[in-house]
Amino acid sequence: MAKPPLSGIKVADFTWVWAGPYCTLQLAHLGADVTRIETKTRPCVTRMLPPWPNGKFDGLNKSGYFNQYNQGKKSLSLNFKHPEAKDVAWRLIKEADVVVNNFASGVMEKMGFGYDAIREVKSDIIMISLSGYGDTGPYHEYVAYGPAQVPLSGLSSLTGYKGFPPMHAGFSYADPNAGIHGAFAVLAALFHRKKTGEGQYIDMAQWECAMDLLAEGILEYTMNGREPERNGNRDPFMAPHGIFKCRDLAEKVMDMTIDRWVSIVCADDAEWGRLASAMGEPELAADLRFKTLAARRANEDELEALITGWTLPQRFDEVARKLQAAGVAAAPCADNKYLCDEDRHVAQRNYWVELNHPEVGVQRHAGIPWRMSGTSTAVRMAAPCLGQHTDETLARLGYSKEEVESLRKIGALD
Amino acid sequence: MAGALSDLKIIEVGEMVSAPYCGKLLADLGADVIKVERPKVGDHARTRGPFPKDDPHPEKSGLFLYLNTNKRGITLDLAQAEGMELLERLAVDADVLIHNVMPSDMDRVGLTYDRMKRANPNLIMTSITPFGLSGPNRNWRAEDLTVWCAGGVCVLNGGGLEHADLPPLKTFGQQSGYQAGVHAAVPTLAAAFARLNGEAGQHIEVSGQEAIISQLEMTFEYWPYMKMIATRLGQKPIQPVETMQCKDGYIYLCCIEEHQWRGFVEIMGSPEWAGEEIFKDRLTRAQNWDVLKVFLEEWVSQQTVLDLYRKAQAKRVPFAPVSTMGDLLSNEHLKSRGFFVEITHPVAGTHKYPGAPLKYHRTPWQLRTPAPTLGQHNDEVFGAKLNLSQSRIDELKRRGVI
Repeated sequence: MAKPPLSGIKVADFTWVWAGPYCTLQLAHLGADVTRIETKTRPCVTRMLPPWPNGKFDGLNKSGYFNQYNQGKKSLSLNFKHPEAKDVAWRLIKEADVVVNNFASGVMEKMGFGYDAIREVKSDIIMISLSGYGDTGPYHEYVAYGPAQVPLSGLSSLTGYKGFPPMHAGFSYADPNAGIHGAFAVLAALFHRKKTGEGQYIDMAQWECAMDLLAEGILEYTMNGREPERNGNRDPFMAPHGIFKCRDLAEKVMDMTIDRWVSIVCADDAEWGRLASAMGEPELAADLRFKTLAARRANEDELEALITGWTLPQRFDEVARKLQAAGVAAAPCADNKYLCDEDRHVAQRNYWVELNHPEVGVQRHAGIPWRMSGTSTAVRMAAPCLGQHTDETLARLGYSKEEVESLRKIGALD
Repeated sequence: MAGALSDLKIIEVGEMVSAPYCGKLLADLGADVIKVERPKVGDHARTRGPFPKDDPHPEKSGLFLYLNTNKRGITLDLAQAEGMELLERLAVDADVLIHNVMPSDMDRVGLTYDRMKRANPNLIMTSITPFGLSGPNRNWRAEDLTVWCAGGVCVLNGGGLEHADLPPLKTFGQQSGYQAGVHAAVPTLAAAFARLNGEAGQHIEVSGQEAIISQLEMTFEYWPYMKMIATRLGQKPIQPVETMQCKDGYIYLCCIEEHQWRGFVEIMGSPEWAGEEIFKDRLTRAQNWDVLKVFLEEWVSQQTVLDLYRKAQAKRVPFAPVSTMGDLLSNEHLKSRGFFVEITHPVAGTHKYPGAPLKYHRTPWQLRTPAPTLGQHNDEVFGAKLNLSQSRIDELKRRGVI
């Protein structure tokens, strides 16, 4: 097996919270040496967010949220109130190939680490900023939080039930979307630098990057001057196309009844025929109310009620398996418990990562969503504790033990 | 100026969104992408629209035209042995072959990495499928809705305590395709970078389901860490983070830090109720959300979206409008950044499309050509590139290979 593709690439990681860490996570997955610059005086927000193994906050190294998105990285703790700490960061930048941050536009400049300053000492550096609004434009100083970027992008006004207000996507989708596109951008810049020796600066607006995911909505407007109508889970070209309740096996979890659901789609009349047979009612295939796509679309409430009548008493994953065996697209509407404990497919593909972490022990985390035949695809280490690699990194940067001690004494490593 | 990837040669056998979006990301940075479509029918995205004047036409689908900018287009029937042979010949001098052919169809036509590697040992082959190439569900039929569900997102969205009977909700569009595509572009480029360092080509396999699971934010880890099911029906732990209706549209209230809440209270003119003990911090505001919501809805309903957005941002409170498509197209910030781009296509006409996801200072994202018409570059690619004679090309066309 060859070395991981980014072996030897060093990343100075000024990111925090969610979009930026998801970007540098990809680079770590690919073998880059990623060093997070953190501070004990203002820890990364996700270090203080749940979930925690004992159910409540008791220390900065136990968040499942942080530990998921920082696997394979190192942590260097620095307090920039001390100029000596900035010197350490500069040494790290000088040996780095890539600098990543996701602060609002202008914050890196205020800290003294703007692109122009960095380029002065390292002309071929690649730097990327994943801000909410980008570096230019009248709103470039606006503040962005991941959850708010979903409605801002337009996705919320397109998502929702017919006749109801806009809905959110359910998670801060614009964040990981920015992170993965950011990783792509870094790789393209590394490719260019390898051929030409030239570094560059990359400006990302999370808002813009999210709009690339809703071209159908934007083009409906620019082609036809119309706002697309929210229409739940339905689709103009396929029916049935929905998520159906499987209530009778609902589980009671923490005083709440959690229904389970299954998604079912028929792409054409033949698939509808197979679904009807699987439901034990093959005659429905020829029923004029449902025979064609147009008819099924016109009678979709009735169609969905019939299907629900069939799914309701069954286990959701059994419905999916049964329909797949019959040649119909279906999948469990998976929740985190199902994915973790019950989805045999994901488990058999060895997707999960279980590495020993000094403070949370062995916990299950999501792994790498690709396999490379020429390179081992494995997460190399658990997420770092805050400052875990401070001494190691300073030694690598040429600091003696005495120098490290004196930096520590003045608080530069807090 | 040349794009960052301007000497990368790519073959894309892509339908709908995942492989085409991967190909688009690379093509828009300068790569030479030859897109292979089925003869006569082409990429299924050509049937999906939206279409100008709602007139379905294979050359006018907005989804297809968006996803295939900067590519050359050829047709090839891979179900015929000669079609696969021509694909092999194209792969001889390509750097990358991206595809989203389903595993069962890969077996049927013989689209295997071993075969492609024999044609070109340096080739990078990227296989994007809904569930990956191994495991019990590898051959599961899939549409965007079912993959988005299998990845664990739908269960987080929709309903709410008042509407628990409404089903979990899909996010608009073809999101599992986009995420599989961009998650495939990352290892593909990494492998191309490794080749510049002297490494060989390799086979990359991407699972759409796994790409989605890896984005679930904190919700996945609630089970391994705390044995809690993350659901759309739970009460939020902190508030306000909600969509609310103004006089002229919707706004997303997001003020989860204490200083942000104080800023919002000032904007509201510091009403007396805001000083109540039950709203003293973000946790109590969430516990008493049913009461707080009534106060906020009443006040917000008297405001206009832009005015409230600007006032909030002036106090560094990250509110955002719930943008409509019209809002986006007329937005002054997006205009000044030149986000939307105008593309003229010979059949579909001139329309505005979403533009660059990122701005590269040295190697700009560029639109060189609109999406190809079906088989537009057949003669150029089979003739000039593969040296087939015109009579041979005509014969292949007659037999439906091309």
